[in-house]
Amino acid sequence: MTRWIRLMVLACALFGLATTAEAATRGGTLTYARYADSLFLDPVFNDANVDIWILTNLYDTLLMPTADGKGVNPGLATEYKVADDGLTFTLKIRQGVKFGDGSPLTVDDVKWSLDRARNPKNGIWSFIVDSIDSIDTQGADTVVLHLKHPDPTLAAGLATFNTAILPQKLYEATPGSTDEEKAKAFAEKPVGTGPFVFDSWQRGTEMVLKRNPNYWQMGDDGKPLPYLDEIRFPVIPDDATRILKLQAGEVDGAELIPYARVGELKNDPNLDMELYPSTKVTFLTMNVRPTLTDGTKNPLADPRVRQALNYAIDKNALIKIVTFDVGKPVVSFMSSATPLVDDQGPAYPFDASKAKALLADAGYGNGAEVSCIALAGSADDNAILTTIQQMWAQVGVTLKIDQMDNATRTAHYRAGDFQMRTSLWTDDINDPSEITSYFAYYPQIQSLHGGFQDQTIDDLYTKSQQEMDSAKRADMYKQIQQTYMKAAPIIFLYQSPYPVALRKQVKGFVQIPLGNNIFSGAYLEK
Amino acid sequence: MDSARGPVGLKYVAVRLAQIVPTFFLVMVIVFFLVRYLPGDPTSAVLGIRATEEAVTRINAQLGLDRPMIVQFWIFLQHFVRGDLLDSIILKVPVMQLIEERMPVTLFLTGLASLIAVLLAVPMALMSALERDRAPDIVIRSAFQIGLSMPVFYIGIVLLTFLAARLHWFPVGGFGNGFGEHLVHLFLPALTLALSLSAILMRNLRNSIIEVLDADYVDFARAKGLRSRLILGRHVLRNALVSTVVLFGLNIGTLIGGAVITETVFAIPGVGRLIVDSVFGRDYPVVQGVALSLAVLVSLVLLATDLLQATLDPRVAR
Repeated sequence: MTRWIRLMVLACALFGLATTAEAATRGGTLTYARYADSLFLDPVFNDANVDIWILTNLYDTLLMPTADGKGVNPGLATEYKVADDGLTFTLKIRQGVKFGDGSPLTVDDVKWSLDRARNPKNGIWSFIVDSIDSIDTQGADTVVLHLKHPDPTLAAGLATFNTAILPQKLYEATPGSTDEEKAKAFAEKPVGTGPFVFDSWQRGTEMVLKRNPNYWQMGDDGKPLPYLDEIRFPVIPDDATRILKLQAGEVDGAELIPYARVGELKNDPNLDMELYPSTKVTFLTMNVRPTLTDGTKNPLADPRVRQALNYAIDKNALIKIVTFDVGKPVVSFMSSATPLVDDQGPAYPFDASKAKALLADAGYGNGAEVSCIALAGSADDNAILTTIQQMWAQVGVTLKIDQMDNATRTAHYRAGDFQMRTSLWTDDINDPSEITSYFAYYPQIQSLHGGFQDQTIDDLYTKSQQEMDSAKRADMYKQIQQTYMKAAPIIFLYQSPYPVALRKQVKGFVQIPLGNNIFSGAYLEK
Repeated sequence: MDSARGPVGLKYVAVRLAQIVPTFFLVMVIVFFLVRYLPGDPTSAVLGIRATEEAVTRINAQLGLDRPMIVQFWIFLQHFVRGDLLDSIILKVPVMQLIEERMPVTLFLTGLASLIAVLLAVPMALMSALERDRAPDIVIRSAFQIGLSMPVFYIGIVLLTFLAARLHWFPVGGFGNGFGEHLVHLFLPALTLALSLSAILMRNLRNSIIEVLDADYVDFARAKGLRSRLILGRHVLRNALVSTVVLFGLNIGTLIGGAVITETVFAIPGVGRLIVDSVFGRDYPVVQGVALSLAVLVSLVLLATDLLQATLDPRVAR
């Protein structure tokens, strides 16, 4: 029996809008200071957060992530339906939508964009829609996806940046003999259906977006979004300078406020120091192979040692010291904002005696030596590792810290040539499958290159990728997380929000748990 | 007394210009191979924790990075002789475009910083030397010593906090649009850069002036009845400036290095920041392109200081 999953088409402003009682004021320029410039504004070929978190203002996806990160809303598709056997995914495309250059959005654009996104030769995100076997269009408003197998992650996938819809004709008319060349040329002046259109970009200095007068989403006042006329993104890499600019009133918002400054900005009467819930988790990856690349025996191969090292860390103290209490303990390897997270309480609450007992049990009663790679120049890494160094010394474990620059440590990482390393993760898709495939599922990247392999987890993951029953799938993820927790292939540390400081006049802005900066509902109060 | 310009001078300049060419090729070869010997590659550096073997291998192959280094160098040379510096791997735009956009900014910054350094150093050195070991001398030397010992980023943040953010006399970082705005935006960063350089120049110039003031030919000039100011200008300053000009040329590398930090603190889109980011990101074409342009720049500055030195002291040019 076909199940119509009817999504409510919200009359008022959709996801990401703070529901304020006052009406939004229209007009004005919002200046938002970023810590780094975007690199490449193509939804399929981009690689980094600095691109992803801006793309959603230029391009729309068929579905859109909800503000809390757990579900999807209509986007360029007004509704979708999944067949009983899970092999057909039908979308109804919103009518009357125009691209930034005025040309109409058609079902052909949708088919072409999705085909481009799922091509494994294009970029690194094709896995998000690799369950699609072929795509048909029907009439002017229907797109049918034929799947290789049932895919419970597809709705979330269609809300992810790489499946954004581009104008086929305009793109194909761009000069270039390969898709990469065309992508480069097109990304110089991108055209999408998003709330803002690209105006100018002085690389390394500032990007300017202007209001899309033809946008399809409606504001509280019944007129089209966005409320703002223009957004300017100056690039200010130095944290102290970025904050100074905000305090001087030269910008309206500043992202990535260092933890140490959050308290001070909270007390500033002119600013709102926002801490947006995020999917960001901080942890230490462990190499769990029996021997390291230099042939020495690896104490981390024993799960008791890994558990002991986890128990030996006072996470609350660490969170206080490193994040000035901005962070929170994690309950799983995934953040609390990731769907299907299993919450059994904070991971490995501090217990030094248990840690010592486990170490003795594993034969390391007289101590052990481990080393960890830190990112050179990172204040956070420094704070985390020096704190942990002291805590582990209490249970007889010596921690050696190796500082390396990013490219060098990534080379070690890929070669499995490390014992431990500091790590950060944010989800790119509103589904636990991505983080699980990287952390726990061996065939992807040998579990964060650490070598952790558990056949139960691998089998559960494979099954869960085709399980359409949400209750059954949730249960599979519960099992995966509990098995992973016991095996402790990582040192669980904390999760932390996105720290953004805004002038009090800025309203309606939100950074969703995935990291996307949503400006469609933002406005400047007069 | 005046330098002999003409055939001797031109030959000297031509020889020096010709010397830039082998330097250039040496820099090209060294930078090309050195940056590729660094561990890591641009693709896995940017993908970081999300890097899968398949993606890294595929993308590196697309970029031609799996070929032997000598083949890559040959390809680079072939493009280079056609004036093509290839595209940035990370930013996906031509390296030439990046240099054209960013080099003038760094030149403006370092040029302004040099000017400020000289304007600070020369009068102070003069006063210091003339009032040798008396109060003004001690005050000036201490002040410059403090400037010399403070790190560049610290001075930068202090200036930004007080003169920009609090007093609003200057904008907080950035570059601005148009010459006037550039001047206003770059004043603080140029001042930051100039402080340590001017300290070095001032000390050296002061000592040189003292040396010259004590020299025989000055006494001789005085004995001949030449007025003090004339002595000062023509003889003392001119001869004292020689070693300072040389010192300036030698410090051009430090100036550019300081520009890197200043560009980051003040959010200025120059090549300093670009080359550092590119080394960290293993963006080989950008590192090569910027290193080569900086090599040319430094060579020209050294040539200019040598010419200036030759003008001030004709004995050098022969």
